[in-house]
Amino acid sequence: MSDKPQPEEEFQDPLANYDPKKYADRLEQALSEETVATVEHVPYEVIAPETTVADAVKKLAGLHIACLLVEKDGDLLGVFSDRDVLKKVALEYDQVASKPVSEVMTDDPIYVYETDSAAAALAVMVVAGYRHVPVLNVRNKLIGIVSPQRVTSFLQKYA
Amino acid sequence: MGLYENLRNEPVKTLALRKPVTAGPEDTIRQAVERMRAQRLGCVIVVDSDQKPVGMFTESMLTQLLTSNPKVVDEPVSKHMAEHWPWVRATDPIHDVLDGLHLKNVRFLCVVDENDRLIGLTGQKGLMEYVAEHFPGQVMVQRIGGTSVGDKREGA
Repeated sequence: MSDKPQPEEEFQDPLANYDPKKYADRLEQALSEETVATVEHVPYEVIAPETTVADAVKKLAGLHIACLLVEKDGDLLGVFSDRDVLKKVALEYDQVASKPVSEVMTDDPIYVYETDSAAAALAVMVVAGYRHVPVLNVRNKLIGIVSPQRVTSFLQKYA
Repeated sequence: MGLYENLRNEPVKTLALRKPVTAGPEDTIRQAVERMRAQRLGCVIVVDSDQKPVGMFTESMLTQLLTSNPKVVDEPVSKHMAEHWPWVRATDPIHDVLDGLHLKNVRFLCVVDENDRLIGLTGQKGLMEYVAEHFPGQVMVQRIGGTSVGDKREGA
């Protein structure tokens, strides 16, 4: 084994040729780099699936909100919104008022993770057409909801 | 040109405006709801015999009314409509839509021409579609719908 000192290699920056993505404006950057967690997603209101339709409608109206999340033990089961009231309740009120909300809710709702990009929530609204997008954490537990109003506020911040 | 400039330079009429659902003042809320269901729209514009808008009725108003009286659906829509509603001109910059939705906390804005005639509806969805079209590389490439990674993973 030689005791000769080895010549020091010149440090080469592995990111020397890295060309970071350039954005046209700060909204484009925010949509790409900000996560759903940075879009307002709380507070949110939940109900149990066995809640009656009448009570669910009262809660929507009493809180002056457009959407309730139907959950059990933190697991998302569905969404009950004023669009469900319009489509399935308003003209059938006497027949459905005492039924569980799980019978008229929108089940299998499309959701996003808090770690998804902000653009993912926008995509659910624009492409899939759902106005209210539940937010889950990495353990698949419900932690919030993104509404069009909240996305509008997000856009307003960067536009 | 970035979205910042476009929002301030492009007029509202470049948005994909929705055709409004209309009802007469004597139509019942039931009739209005049936039309809203058919057109999958959350509001109806009440117009007089000259097709001039005289009010707006929305699905959130419907939810409020049902809690106090479920039979309200057989009453005239004009009895419960809002007589004042936010609007923008077709020639206003799109940024005015963003301001209107944000500041007035509404979902829909009526779009009127230079003679104040109703020519369409826009709102939160129209604005989001505009942003998505502007940034397809960010929005239109997203995976739609969450699926649990842990549940679907295959292999060792």
